[in-house]
Amino acid sequence: MTRRAQPSLAEPVSPLALWLTLGGFLGAVLLNVYQIAAWCAPVALGAVAWRARSAQDSPKLPGRVVRIIVIAVLTVAVVLSFHTLNGVQAGGSLLVGMSALKLTETQRRRDWMIIIGASLFLLLAACLDAQALWRLPLYGLEVWLLCTALYALGASPSIVPLGTLGRRAGGSLLAALPLALLLFVLFPRLPGSFWALPRQNEARTGLGDDMSPGSVSKLLESDDPAMRVRFDGPLPPPSERYWRGPVMHDFDGFTWRRHRTGLVPPANLGIPLSLQFLGTDYAYEVTLEPTQHNVLIALELPRGDPPANLPQAFESFDYQMIDSTPNPHAVSYRLESYPRHRNSGPLSTFERLLDLRLPRSGNPRSLELARTLRAAAVSDQDYMKAVLDYLRKGNYQYSTAPPLLARDSVDDLLFHTHQGFCEHYASAFTVLMRAGGVPARVVTGYLGGEWNRFGGYLLIRQSDAHAWSEVWLDGQGWVRVDPTAVVAPGQLSDELAGLAAVAGPGHGGLRTAPPWLRATVQVWQAANAWWQDEFVGFNFTRQIDLIDVIGLRRQGWHALIWMLAGGGGLWLALIGWAYRPRARADRRDELARIWRLLERKLRAFGGARSAHEGPLSYAERIGAAHPEHAANLRAIARRYARLRYGPQPSAPEVLRLRRAVRWLTLRPQR
Amino acid sequence: MPSFGRFPFLSEARTAGERWLTAWARRRQGEDATPLTLRSRRLYILPTRAGLAAGVLLLLMLLAGLNYNNSLALMLCFLLAGFTTVSMHQCHRMLAGLRVHRADVESTFAHQLGIITLQLDNEDSRARQGLMLRCPPCERQRFELAATSVRSVDLPYQAGRRGRQRIERLELASNAPLALFRAWAWLHLPLEVIVYPTPQGERALPPPRGQRRRTGEQRVRVGGEEEWASLRSYREGDSPRRVAWKAYARGAPLMVAHYDAPAGVHRLLDAALLSELPLEARLSQLAQWVLECERLGDNYGLRLGNLELPPRHGPAQRRACLEALALYGL
Repeated sequence: MTRRAQPSLAEPVSPLALWLTLGGFLGAVLLNVYQIAAWCAPVALGAVAWRARSAQDSPKLPGRVVRIIVIAVLTVAVVLSFHTLNGVQAGGSLLVGMSALKLTETQRRRDWMIIIGASLFLLLAACLDAQALWRLPLYGLEVWLLCTALYALGASPSIVPLGTLGRRAGGSLLAALPLALLLFVLFPRLPGSFWALPRQNEARTGLGDDMSPGSVSKLLESDDPAMRVRFDGPLPPPSERYWRGPVMHDFDGFTWRRHRTGLVPPANLGIPLSLQFLGTDYAYEVTLEPTQHNVLIALELPRGDPPANLPQAFESFDYQMIDSTPNPHAVSYRLESYPRHRNSGPLSTFERLLDLRLPRSGNPRSLELARTLRAAAVSDQDYMKAVLDYLRKGNYQYSTAPPLLARDSVDDLLFHTHQGFCEHYASAFTVLMRAGGVPARVVTGYLGGEWNRFGGYLLIRQSDAHAWSEVWLDGQGWVRVDPTAVVAPGQLSDELAGLAAVAGPGHGGLRTAPPWLRATVQVWQAANAWWQDEFVGFNFTRQIDLIDVIGLRRQGWHALIWMLAGGGGLWLALIGWAYRPRARADRRDELARIWRLLERKLRAFGGARSAHEGPLSYAERIGAAHPEHAANLRAIARRYARLRYGPQPSAPEVLRLRRAVRWLTLRPQR
Repeated sequence: MPSFGRFPFLSEARTAGERWLTAWARRRQGEDATPLTLRSRRLYILPTRAGLAAGVLLLLMLLAGLNYNNSLALMLCFLLAGFTTVSMHQCHRMLAGLRVHRADVESTFAHQLGIITLQLDNEDSRARQGLMLRCPPCERQRFELAATSVRSVDLPYQAGRRGRQRIERLELASNAPLALFRAWAWLHLPLEVIVYPTPQGERALPPPRGQRRRTGEQRVRVGGEEEWASLRSYREGDSPRRVAWKAYARGAPLMVAHYDAPAGVHRLLDAALLSELPLEARLSQLAQWVLECERLGDNYGLRLGNLELPPRHGPAQRRACLEALALYGL
């Protein structure tokens, strides 16, 4: 009698489980390699190698004092790397370090399960860090590997073949998938966060009520969708896809702010009557993600009427479509815009004062520059051209990670750092214009957008955020000037070219590619778009939309809970059914099936088999009672016994037996 | 199992809770009889400590996913939650539908370990792993059942004082496949055993009585005091001590020396011979004598109060005598 021990948590594990767990941990570390501290991966690799080398013999473990010292060193190293222990990156690094340390003392099953738990957490950190579609298979494989390791740990120290373990883990994961999808769609999401994690000196691109060029050292490229736009007719050309957001008037030398008059509906400060809309108009529907400001983003320039579903909104004197409060949830609205417009009427005194104002002191060199250029210019337009020329020829660079700016931010940018992104140049240009006596303001918003062929909409991401200037020129009205386009024409034209590539065939870099490659790229892009949009972008708002689609808005969250309970119950029942005890021989066993058939026939004919009877004696007994079938039955029973208990039978033999049993007819002779 | 060494009151509460729980299960399930099929109704399942830790891990993942509003993290969390739930079903399935064909318990001596034998039948097409069978308070016996297989499992039980003893409860458990859950069933099988008195004592055997029959050439002296009459072929259950190993080594089939104890020669194990000893010591000495006589192959009779067993030997006699001793005065 073999007694294979099933381990308690305190028992050692099989070598296979050890290797699988080590592999799973290493995979989890590698998936995080971009976000953890640089020293983490080598440390983890070293620990894994050390543990693998001492896998055969029982490892010599470091003492407690050494371990405490190492923990202290780790913590200090993480704090030095990130200046905090809070957040995914610091936490992930610390977890990698601690797990590597734990590896030096893993012996019992409990220890290895802790390693798997840590690896799962690292996998979570990787998911929080990067959600690109191409990483999905990697994540899937990693989950599978870790679950296989769990099964190996559960079975150890028995040795179960790797294939069996992998199949078991994969089967369980597949069985879990329907529940996961159900929960994914129906589990109530949060509209915000429980706690915000610190992000020092890192701005998510996106729009707010103010703008401080130079306070932010690094522009985070957030791929979160900002808005989706469906056009009733054709799309505006890429060069006209300027999406207008908050307009900034007040500058204190460092920070641009919106003007308070723009935030409340003033009776006499609507759009001026002298504004004329020209050219083609575009009608479209916007779905705007939650915002920090109260402006309904619109294509330049929206016509003055508020959207039908948001009657409280109004268009302010500086052409912002303003809602009463920032929108905590996504909001949809319809608008109509004219990219071309003219305002021949005089600029109101209020606006002129507002948009010529500069701080009393600060940026002396810029003001000096403005005086020089202005003196040489004959008109406002001339002056504007001179300033743009200065920017174009001044060797300025576009950078998403510019150096921080000093208090006199415009001076610092223009004469010292020479690096910045749209906010910097829009700010500098506007200041120069004001200094030269030309009313100017900063407009923030988005530029461009990605055409989603399959969804039929233009997707604008937070990373499309942009800032430009508007300048008052007599006779023309407010004219859009994009200094970033002047400073870094390549930067914007790249964006617009990329835009063209997806906007339709016949444009952009893909034009020269062979058709099959173009199709493949487009499918991949579409898959990515779907992934980003439908899966990664699935959130609280989309959940609400979903309830709406099902038509259960009135029931609200109750509907979600009920659907969740119903679906979950169904899944549980199905799983219970799939794993019910099956009091049957293996269905795949052909011989067993044949025997059951034979037994059924014999039972119907000559009575049930007694517990002590084997196939031979059973057939013999029935044969004795019915001599006319005796020879046949004996032959069949012998054949069955030979195939069943003899050496591995061949398929044709089994087939012949099955045929013989199937054709066997037992009828008592009268 | 958690230990509460530092918190004795917890340990007490736990014992009390366990007692209440087992009593409740006993009332709920009633007495079992073989053959017995383990239906879901009588299977219990709870997460192990590792399972609880996994639950905490999942909760943290959920919070992280919700806080960052990260779909992929939430998907991972939900997938693992489903995976854990599936493993719970798999654990439950390790026991569900298992059949207990027979349960036998072997007598043993007081305060010693005896053996319970269970015959288990797995009709299922999947193997049952990580099975643990235990008769509290003894160590658990670990085993597996292959797909569609029958096997018997021996597990130790702790005998108490002499007399009749009921095996109240067996515990059949499994924590396969992931050790995150532990499913168990309590079996209340009608297992009753007679526990013999501990065989011990210093007294020499009472001398044999009656005439030895001499039969000449049949008698072979094999050394020491043992005499035997003939050889017969080995039967299962014969003591290996009586196997004629020398003959076997010469190539003969396995033979057993058959002590054809001469009629009329026997020892009378009389409790009255030990009247100066206290009762339990007397019974222990008598039990020791019974074993000694069996070893020698002598016929022996027992006189115990009003009870008198005629001289014989063999397993039946041994059992009759030991049982009489076990139950005397109870």
